Amino acid sequence: MEYKVEAHRIMSISLGKIYNSRVQRGGIKLHKNLLVSLVLRSARQVYLSDYYSGVCLNTQHVEAKEWELMDSNQEKPLTPAPEESLSPSTDCNQNPEVPVVPEDPEVQHTSQAVEDSTDLHSVSSKHQAEEESSSEDSTTDVSLTSSPVTCESQCEAKGAEVSSSDCEADANPATVTEGNSQQPPKAHSCSNRKRTAEKTASNDSPVKRTKVTSSNSSEEEAEEMDTGNVSNLITIFGSSFSGLLTKESSEPEAETEDSDSGSGQICCDQMLKNLNPWSTAIVAF
Amino acid sequence: MEGDGGSEFRQWCLSQVKGAIDDDVTEADIISAVEFNHSGELLATGDRGGRIVIFQQEQESKALPQSRGEYNVYSTFQSHEPEFDYLKSLEIEEKINKIRWLPQKNAAHFLLSTNDKTIKLWKISERDKRPEGYNLKEEDGRYKDPTSVTTLRVPVFQPMDLMVEASPRRVYANAHTYHINSISVNSDNETYLSADDLRINLWHLDFTDRSFNIVDIKPTNMEELTEVITASEFHPLQCNTFVYGSSKGSVRLCDMRAAALCDRHSKLFEEPEDPSARSFFSEIISSVSDVKFSHSGRYMMTRDYLTVKIWDLNMESRPVETYQVHEYLRSKLCSLYENDCIFDKFECCWSQDDSEVMTGSYNNFFRMFGRDGQPGMTLEASWESSSPRCPLRPWRVCAGSRRNDDEIGVDCLDFSRKILHTSWHPQDGIIAMATINNLYIFQEKLN
Repeated sequence: MEYKVEAHRIMSISLGKIYNSRVQRGGIKLHKNLLVSLVLRSARQVYLSDYYSGVCLNTQHVEAKEWELMDSNQEKPLTPAPEESLSPSTDCNQNPEVPVVPEDPEVQHTSQAVEDSTDLHSVSSKHQAEEESSSEDSTTDVSLTSSPVTCESQCEAKGAEVSSSDCEADANPATVTEGNSQQPPKAHSCSNRKRTAEKTASNDSPVKRTKVTSSNSSEEEAEEMDTGNVSNLITIFGSSFSGLLTKESSEPEAETEDSDSGSGQICCDQMLKNLNPWSTAIVAF
Repeated sequence: MEGDGGSEFRQWCLSQVKGAIDDDVTEADIISAVEFNHSGELLATGDRGGRIVIFQQEQESKALPQSRGEYNVYSTFQSHEPEFDYLKSLEIEEKINKIRWLPQKNAAHFLLSTNDKTIKLWKISERDKRPEGYNLKEEDGRYKDPTSVTTLRVPVFQPMDLMVEASPRRVYANAHTYHINSISVNSDNETYLSADDLRINLWHLDFTDRSFNIVDIKPTNMEELTEVITASEFHPLQCNTFVYGSSKGSVRLCDMRAAALCDRHSKLFEEPEDPSARSFFSEIISSVSDVKFSHSGRYMMTRDYLTVKIWDLNMESRPVETYQVHEYLRSKLCSLYENDCIFDKFECCWSQDDSEVMTGSYNNFFRMFGRDGQPGMTLEASWESSSPRCPLRPWRVCAGSRRNDDEIGVDCLDFSRKILHTSWHPQDGIIAMATINNLYIFQEKLN
């Protein structure tokens, strides 16, 4: 467990470095930020794999198998209960451009806007309800044991920021499943991020994300030097992090707190201990 | 072995210390580049304030035939100024990243200096005579009344106090989107390369309005970026060959005859990672911070955070020699990451005969390795504990917090004092290195 604490600490430090690099003299240093993002990704992998006790740092092979399993499961439950705040899931295999469940197309659009990379658009359309068992499976793809879904999703809340960095930064191809060109770990982390963000503020977050994304992507184009990694990480982190970079930081912070308090109620003490430093680290920015 | 001064090792003596003695040093005075010229007569240093100071070695004194001449200030000038990129709202630092001398062709000296974005060619020339006896001008420059001139005379050159002038002859600008990390003059003495994080450009010294891009590793989608260029150098003898090191620990050798764009390397020097040494920071510490060819051109040295590796250009699979610079830091990588020390870029250099290599470390230590596979020697750059003409005593670094005359614990090391920039005289046993606020010059003790 000390690994988890260590990984957590390293993730916080890395985020701090990325944030500070934006204000330092001379502009963003591409090399340093690339290295920091690599450390962030490594720490996140350890953090997530270590969270689920008894899990060994297993191979993508097993992940891929579970991914296939989950895919087949997902064929059936496409629409969750209407009162579900989360947008319903779509089969990850389906064409992302076609909203399978158009209950919340706005979110889908937004999430697609957030991920500019075409790799992730199918993932972005995959929104899973908390109660769905398939979501449980999906999270286990990232780590390999099943846990209470609520714990997972809220763990995702913390891990999502970092896990989604894996989406963007990790170009290593995982095993391809079912002809889907998307990488399973990537897909999961991104979907987890979506779920988390939506859980907290479904209506506000899409708009916010879009805004931040556009500002970030335009920033990316304007400052070619502004590493794609850095701004991408920020978009991936979702509203909780990106909100801090926009002028209106109150709402995103509230979101962060919402997700944290919600999870705090549900989860075990262990989570609580780690929650506070995490939210502190983010709010401290 | 490390503690033994060793008969097989040279003995080094502190020769000079330049710079302010007090601890209060401004950011602008921090030395960021050190480079001997091709004869070793001149030593250039650049600092974070964009200034260059050139030292000249005085002629060997007859009184002390054993000692080589001292270095005194020869010229000081402002090379780069801070700039602002209005389009990107970015400030461009004036810090001198690299200085490279051109081989001398006439009485004047030329050097290239670069900051993050712009390279400049400076001409340093001496003036020790001036014309006197103008017909229409007084000695102080005022014009005479033409009607008062009754005779004509030819102006003659009269000796004057030596004046060293530095003038910018070329400014090579607007060719780099990312931060320039290296420049290297080609052996053809006509071209040079400049490398930033993602691209390497080839310039002709005479033309500032164009450069050729010879390496471009920028991915179409920046999100797929996995490695950057960290250092680059031309081969000392083959004008078609250059190498560049990457943040992933590999070095690529490229041949410009193969293609206009050298994206495909001719050789890839990469050592497989040791899986047992994997940690969060494995990727950071494998990043190549410096790459230097040997004078012979047969070997190449790379510096990463913890090691110095010597490669034979004929063997790509692994280095022929690996030296641990400060292996005791491996357990402290997390703290070094927190205080940003893990991102320090150390330089390395070859001895004049390629028999030794030298690199810097923390606590103002520097390391000398004798190309024999031995652990090498640790010496300290400290004016307080060294007296001139007295051989430096080697240090040992041990675990814990002990401190003796020749031993120091890892926990006592001062990570704010580091030697990043080093240069070895091209022909003699003289080394120059920069601590944070001082320039140290050591000479080999001749027996």
